[in-house]
Amino acid sequence: MNSAHRVHDIGGVEGWGAVPYEPDEEVFHYDWERRVFGLMFQVLSETAKRPGEFRHALERLAPEDYFCSDGYYGRWRAAMEVLLDEYGHVAKDELDDLLGVERGTGPGHRVAGVAEVDPQNLPPDRLTPKPNHRTVRRELEEASQFEVGDRVIAVGNNGMGHTRLPEYVRNILGTVVKLHPAEVLPDSTAHNLGERPQHVVCVAYRAKDLWGQDAEEDVVINVDLYENYLAMETELS
Amino acid sequence: MNKQDDHHHGVDPNSPEVRTEALEDLLVEKGLIDRGRVDALIERFEHDLGPMIGARLVAKSWLEPQFRKSLLENADRALEEENIKGAEIEHVEVKANEPGVHNVVVCTLCSCYPWALLGLPPSWYKSPEYRSRVVREPRKVLQEMGLSLDAETEIRVWDSSSETRFLVLPERPEGTEQLGLEELAQLVTRDSMIGVAKAKVS
Repeated sequence: MNSAHRVHDIGGVEGWGAVPYEPDEEVFHYDWERRVFGLMFQVLSETAKRPGEFRHALERLAPEDYFCSDGYYGRWRAAMEVLLDEYGHVAKDELDDLLGVERGTGPGHRVAGVAEVDPQNLPPDRLTPKPNHRTVRRELEEASQFEVGDRVIAVGNNGMGHTRLPEYVRNILGTVVKLHPAEVLPDSTAHNLGERPQHVVCVAYRAKDLWGQDAEEDVVINVDLYENYLAMETELS
Repeated sequence: MNKQDDHHHGVDPNSPEVRTEALEDLLVEKGLIDRGRVDALIERFEHDLGPMIGARLVAKSWLEPQFRKSLLENADRALEEENIKGAEIEHVEVKANEPGVHNVVVCTLCSCYPWALLGLPPSWYKSPEYRSRVVREPRKVLQEMGLSLDAETEIRVWDSSSETRFLVLPERPEGTEQLGLEELAQLVTRDSMIGVAKAKVS
């Protein structure tokens, strides 16, 4: 079900073991994690500025860099190296050469390029009032085409670009439980194809619909989906 | 190693410490990074932000029914009135635990988290184990993490797949009727606001 481009899309994927839980865990374990976190903000202001762009950089990492032993901040550093190279600030080999390690062995070398996304597969763009501060929220004139209680199915697209539709809810029947404020569409902004703002719809899925009759009792999973991902059940039948 | 004269030698050049330090040096040299700003940002996220911000909101909602109502109905307005701003809280929803209903938050696609309310997320929240399993078998995962729920309790999992961020409002522990805001806030752990623990009198 998952392609190599969906390394991050792991909701419901089986085979992972016990959660490495530590109550009241510290947010940083090593000083280098602090540095990666602190560097990232300034690096992003020189590179991936558009909503979804940094996430897409993470998602393009090879599995061994995405699930690297250096954890979350190791993954961030790998994506930072990718972005610095792609934006022409630090070439891929520069850091390897500086460190005297074999070229091409560091994180970020195994990354996939930005996928081609066909704008035809995206909803049309529309003008919204320009916000007076940096935000992903937009005011849409049109009301959402969905209402609380609607039975909906997320179809998504088969493209390889960035999306916020988790694979585990695709093609499963769910119920609209709430409408959130509209946002720019990350599937579009990550690829520099315009804002194409969408209403955001919270859809509730019963565990048994997602995982089958052996699923745990009385479990509901709520997922926030951009309106263009969704179709009414009645439209599809 | 071919750079015996610099300070990156003597240790594994592939270690995260060495690679991160080399990257930072390179970025400073190229004028892309201001080290002082990096230091200030770390300081702010590590010390000024944290779960105490969310904990105060929870404690206040335990004491003031009207505040609880506004937090649950329109958290954005309630946060604005409390003058709470910052990263990763563009739109917030607060989900209240109550008898028979337990809420738990995850981000299966990455690690979205309400930074300005809880600070930075712990490692386990960002782990593939938590992200993959808590949507599939939340009752089992919570039990493994030390939270056993009655079989009759409905579990509502919130997957942070848009820019909406979620905060769980835990139930007020019994025997805390005499406590004030500050004391109550001490009982509200970060993990109880993610939904993997309960607020309790320690």
